[in-house]
Amino acid sequence: MSVPTFVLAVRLRFVSAVLAAAGMILVLLMVGALFPAVGGSIGKLDLPKGVAELLGGADYSSLTGWFRSEIGAVYGPLVIGATAITAAAGSTAGEEEEGILGLVLAHPLERSQLVLAKAAAVAVGVLIVAAGTWIGLVAGVAVAGGGIALADLTALSVHLAFFGFMVGALALALAAGTGRKTVAISVASAYAILGFLVNGFAPLVGGIEWLKYLSPFYYYESNDPIANGIDGADLAVLLAAALVLTAVAAILIRRRDLRG
Amino acid sequence: MSSEIAISTHGLTKDFGGGNGLFDLDLEIEAGEVFGFLGPNGAGKSTTMRLLLDLIGPTRGSANLLGLDSRADSLAVRRRVGFLPGDFQLYPKLTGEEVLDYLADLRGGVDAAVRDALADRFRAELDRPIAELSTGNRQKVGLIQAFMHEPELLILDEPIAGLDPLVQQSFHSLLREVTDAGRTVFLSSHTLSEVERVADRVAILRSGRLMVVDSLSNLRSIAVQRLEVGFAGDVPATAAIEALPGVREARRHGSHMDVSFAGSADPLVKALAAYDVSSLRSHEDDLEEIFLSYYRGGEER
Ligand SMILES: Nc1ncnc2c1ncn2[C@@H]1O[C@H](COP(=O)(O)OP(=O)(O)OP(=O)(O)O)[C@@H](O)[C@H]1O
Ligand SMILES: [Mg+2]
Repeated sequence: MSVPTFVLAVRLRFVSAVLAAAGMILVLLMVGALFPAVGGSIGKLDLPKGVAELLGGADYSSLTGWFRSEIGAVYGPLVIGATAITAAAGSTAGEEEEGILGLVLAHPLERSQLVLAKAAAVAVGVLIVAAGTWIGLVAGVAVAGGGIALADLTALSVHLAFFGFMVGALALALAAGTGRKTVAISVASAYAILGFLVNGFAPLVGGIEWLKYLSPFYYYESNDPIANGIDGADLAVLLAAALVLTAVAAILIRRRDLRG
Repeated sequence: MSSEIAISTHGLTKDFGGGNGLFDLDLEIEAGEVFGFLGPNGAGKSTTMRLLLDLIGPTRGSANLLGLDSRADSLAVRRRVGFLPGDFQLYPKLTGEEVLDYLADLRGGVDAAVRDALADRFRAELDRPIAELSTGNRQKVGLIQAFMHEPELLILDEPIAGLDPLVQQSFHSLLREVTDAGRTVFLSSHTLSEVERVADRVAILRSGRLMVVDSLSNLRSIAVQRLEVGFAGDVPATAAIEALPGVREARRHGSHMDVSFAGSADPLVKALAAYDVSSLRSHEDDLEEIFLSYYRGGEER
């Protein structure tokens, strides 16, 4: 890994990652503050099973259900996923298309070392947002009156981070393989959204239930980390996928013609 | 030293399809020379340089830099070469200083004294964000990074683009110092006039194919030059001017005459001396004309 490239890449995205983390904290504080007034009165929504599944159960009557639905199911993965995907695609294919990498890679630096440095920087960005999520969860739960174990809040944040590693690494592989930022962003986002839908609906349809195993959401939330804590096997799958995709990125960029 | 080869290419080809790219380039550039690489837009100059830096791979053929293969030994090549891309960007939010810090780090550090001297020489604005710099000032940052590690070989794609005449001058003096030290410069340009003061030899590329490689003095003696002469009184007859040795064509427009000639300007100047010449303007050499005249010259000999 190229250390100067890693340091620079972290620096260039540091402010936006911190802002995303701060936004996360604010939103979670609001979500926590709203629970006493709103959560109890909504109770458990009577939704079709697939839709309820997508919303993290849509059980707003308990604090755990409230946070699971408000943050865990959609908002958390959305922010983390967007952070990871844009950073991964922007710092590789984005810089390539802008004409920055044509100069950087004329220096004595292996392309794969560049990609690994960018991957590590994406991971740092993801960790910053996940840390913001953790702080926000702890604060939001306190504001709501408490009642969720710290370990479970940590578990949700950790699962979220690993989800970010995986989709970020997918965007990285696409960006490194094609050199096209929009391709990387749109394909990785489409995969995440499809994964979200598949994870909610596939289990309801006989014969395609297995599709859920292809979804990152399955490993992120099916074992319900905010209620059941960390699931080592799920995290291992997400991490393995992230590492394999990062290795693929480092290999794909090696012999390809640089664009721009 | 002068017999050493800094760059050689062997059938180097990059076929982009549709007749675009670079085809069967055989070129040898000697250590210690300034070699000008000329050609119109789309001729393949940038493609050649990007192939040398292994930013793109050849369709076929090979290139050797400083005794190293451009593909297999690319890392070693890049350690010893300074490159200015033709169309580059830098991190817009960083200052010139910060960009140079990063690029120097990629080389494991450079001599700060050399880098500062370059910055002084070009009067570069290194404390401002790249996004705020004018084209020329951005180009200076590009030049500094290419020279700051004192590479044995410099590959510069249109280095003069965007530089004002004063900075061009300091660039030219820098090139002389570099070659005096036995280092090699391979630079591209659209026009002969941009390289004629610095280049020892010149190659002309057109549509991806090498047309001419020659010493600058040879090329100069063959190239057609155009002169626009203004007369205060009588204007000479075009037929009389065209009869002078070396003159290819003379055209009159009122009190002005456009004369194109090859070789020595002496007969023309002597003939004009008999008239009241109010103005003289020489025109940019057209590359197309240069190699056409090159071939015409070849046939006549
Ligand atoms: N990535 C690419 N894909 C397809 N065609 C390309 C690509 N890069 C360059 N070309 C084509 O190859 C030819 C040579 O381009 P190149 O950039 O080398 O020209 P150049 O001599 O540097 O021109 P200029 O003076 O305008 O910079 C052009 O026809 C160009 O359109
Ligand atoms: Mg070019």
